[in-house]
Amino acid sequence: MLSRVAESLFWMSRYLERAEDVARIIAVNFQASLDAPEISQALAWEPMIAITGERQLYAASFERYDQASVTAFLTRHPENRNAILSCIGRARENARAVREQISREMWEEINRLYHVVYGADVDSILRNPYDFFSQIRNGSHLFQGVTDATMAHSEGWEFIQAGKYLERADKTARILDVKYGALTTNTGGEGAPLGSLQWIALLKSCSAFEPYRRSHSQLQSWRVVDFLLLDRTFPRSVAFCLEHTRRSLARLSDSPLDRPSNAAERLLGRLYAELTYLDIREALADLHGYLDDMEHKLNAVGESIAQTYFVPNVLPPSVAAPSRYYEAQQQQQQ
Amino acid sequence: MGDLFTGYSTGAFFDEMFAAPGQPHPHYQRLYERLGELSRAEYDERLRLADIAFLYQGITFTVYSAQDGIERIFPFDLVPRIIPQSEWQLIDSGLRQRVTALNMFLYDIYHDQRIIRAGLVPAELVLGAASFCHQMVGVEPPGGVYIHINGSDLVRDEHGRYMVLEDNGRSPSGVSYVLENRAAMKRTFPRLFERTGVLPVEHYPQALLETLRSVAPSGVEQPTVVLMTPGVYNSAYFEHSFLARQMGIELVEGRDLVASDNRIYMRTIRGLQQVDVIYRRIDDAFLDPLAFRSDSSLGCPGLFNAYRAGNVTLANAVGTGVADDKAIYAFVPAMIRFYLSEEPLLDNVPTYQASDPSDRTYILENLDKLVVKSVNESGGYGMLIGPHASDAERAEFATKIRAQPRSFIAQPTLALSRHPTFVDGHFEGRHVDFRPYILYGSEITLVPGGLTRVALQKDSLVVNSSQGGGSKDTWVLDE
Repeated sequence: MLSRVAESLFWMSRYLERAEDVARIIAVNFQASLDAPEISQALAWEPMIAITGERQLYAASFERYDQASVTAFLTRHPENRNAILSCIGRARENARAVREQISREMWEEINRLYHVVYGADVDSILRNPYDFFSQIRNGSHLFQGVTDATMAHSEGWEFIQAGKYLERADKTARILDVKYGALTTNTGGEGAPLGSLQWIALLKSCSAFEPYRRSHSQLQSWRVVDFLLLDRTFPRSVAFCLEHTRRSLARLSDSPLDRPSNAAERLLGRLYAELTYLDIREALADLHGYLDDMEHKLNAVGESIAQTYFVPNVLPPSVAAPSRYYEAQQQQQQ
Repeated sequence: MGDLFTGYSTGAFFDEMFAAPGQPHPHYQRLYERLGELSRAEYDERLRLADIAFLYQGITFTVYSAQDGIERIFPFDLVPRIIPQSEWQLIDSGLRQRVTALNMFLYDIYHDQRIIRAGLVPAELVLGAASFCHQMVGVEPPGGVYIHINGSDLVRDEHGRYMVLEDNGRSPSGVSYVLENRAAMKRTFPRLFERTGVLPVEHYPQALLETLRSVAPSGVEQPTVVLMTPGVYNSAYFEHSFLARQMGIELVEGRDLVASDNRIYMRTIRGLQQVDVIYRRIDDAFLDPLAFRSDSSLGCPGLFNAYRAGNVTLANAVGTGVADDKAIYAFVPAMIRFYLSEEPLLDNVPTYQASDPSDRTYILENLDKLVVKSVNESGGYGMLIGPHASDAERAEFATKIRAQPRSFIAQPTLALSRHPTFVDGHFEGRHVDFRPYILYGSEITLVPGGLTRVALQKDSLVVNSSQGGGSKDTWVLDE
């Protein structure tokens, strides 16, 4: 498989997962802010900008943190690379570049999803947010299902899985980092029993509320953190995602899970081991520090995957140099 | 009972299907009867099924317009064009002869230039051609083959005589439609297909792969063949992707390749893998920024050196454009006589060279009767159809011809043959041409069939996809 193709499949998957996670976060926040109107808009909406890490860009274009502004910024703002539209657009560009590698159904779904987002203006989103964000989530799930059902589970598929799980691990860590910090500051510390809807909102941001409930009768801050970081069966927990990324990399290099054969596998293995043997109290002592460190390590894993398999290209695959665009069109096909 | 042929007129043209109104040629008899049974509703239903199938397959081409690129399905007409075996044999032998002469011509002009020294082709026409590649002088391509894939466009005059309108020896395209059209026809008229002895075309990708393998650098046992594409923004990208998949070879862009030690490698997730044969659908000028246009972002630096060193084969070779140059076209019959000592089995269309003073005078005086073509364009662009043009358009071309005579040729407006085509609920005659594909490797292969293109607009002579053309399946019969 060409490195460029592997890279496109990887990023198609990452961007789509990113779009889904942003959609999920916004949707939950809508619900949460309705449930608790006494909480200031800033508290409800500001953390979401922090999650996607675009505080400066946001401040340059919007004055306040409120529902309409944050939604606009995170769904369609043209300069926001992490906006849903931008993420799905990039996912689609990557898919198009490797169209012959993916099934027809996969292409049709990602194309359809793109047009849904492209055709929805901010006002219509605000009028009916649940509908819109459901469509994104469902579209992403559909894409994943179609991928599993119609694409050969060989190298291309493994890169898609690796991209998806790596991105998901990163987003879960970020959500936890930002929301937990905001919550503990405002609700009297981690030891306190929770009735706050914001905790439920945190779990729902990761689609984790019901799974959590099945495992634990009480909502306690440390249990929530433990669940989202370490649960072995919940498909959005950081541990689960890292485990599956590891499996994909191991299958790609055709090496046993416990015998890493390249730098990416080693880094990932180390990160996973640290998580496995984590004493949750150590993490809670400085959760922000812990999660921040984890995000850096996840970045390093991503870089390492690129170094191992993608061989750096001069230009990122999802962005074509304008000259290549015009030159490609010019080639005479008699 | 159907009435789709009611009012069908053959006009003054040679009609592919009808010898006289209501009287089909023998090889069309069965088809005529079958179509005669269909009502409009039944025909429409078959058309709908065929269209769905095309959409499904995604065989499209992109029209150069908005940034987004508009993808279109190449319009497909369900009525196949049928060629009896006797006619095909003439076409087959004529085109084999032609491609052989073209390859010998290319070898000659990049080596001893005997045909020029014999005074048969003007030196300035060859050496001054934009497509003449001086870096190819002295290069020895495997087997001396330059054009591995030739797409020759054939037309018929009012007497039904086949003529070669032009050759396409650089990057001929359209074969994906040939394969897809055949698949669509089998789905829509399965019974008719079974009972008529139509020769298969599905083996084209295999034949192409064999051809490409056969021209690998000598000593390579299991050549690695790739298809090099300009990428998704090219109008024919889907064909590139389609053929690569059908042949089971890797589809690469310039940036996937790297030259090292005068060999070419592709970047894979397992490291560098050597490439032996490149079927390239990229213009010469963009192949290698070190050898040709330095601003090209589509090529691979060092590719041409690897090619010259004989470590990789390019199909088609670099510098073939001089053989399908429209001005050189007029000399192809002379090439056949010179290199093969044979008379051409297929004729050229009479051609006037604007670079020749007396021809030029004739052209300028008869712009209203001639078709004027720019030597370096394709896709139906840069063309003047005299009888259909306005005075202003003709005047504009006259100016261009006087300014750059070497860039223009002219041919009489041909009374191209017509074929029943479905228009507005019934059949009407539309002009058609025919492009078979000739493969030249260790041997010459012609898959029996090709792309019949039809000018969908009434009275139009322009068949190209980018300008309102459509296509038909082409049936070559086994007898």
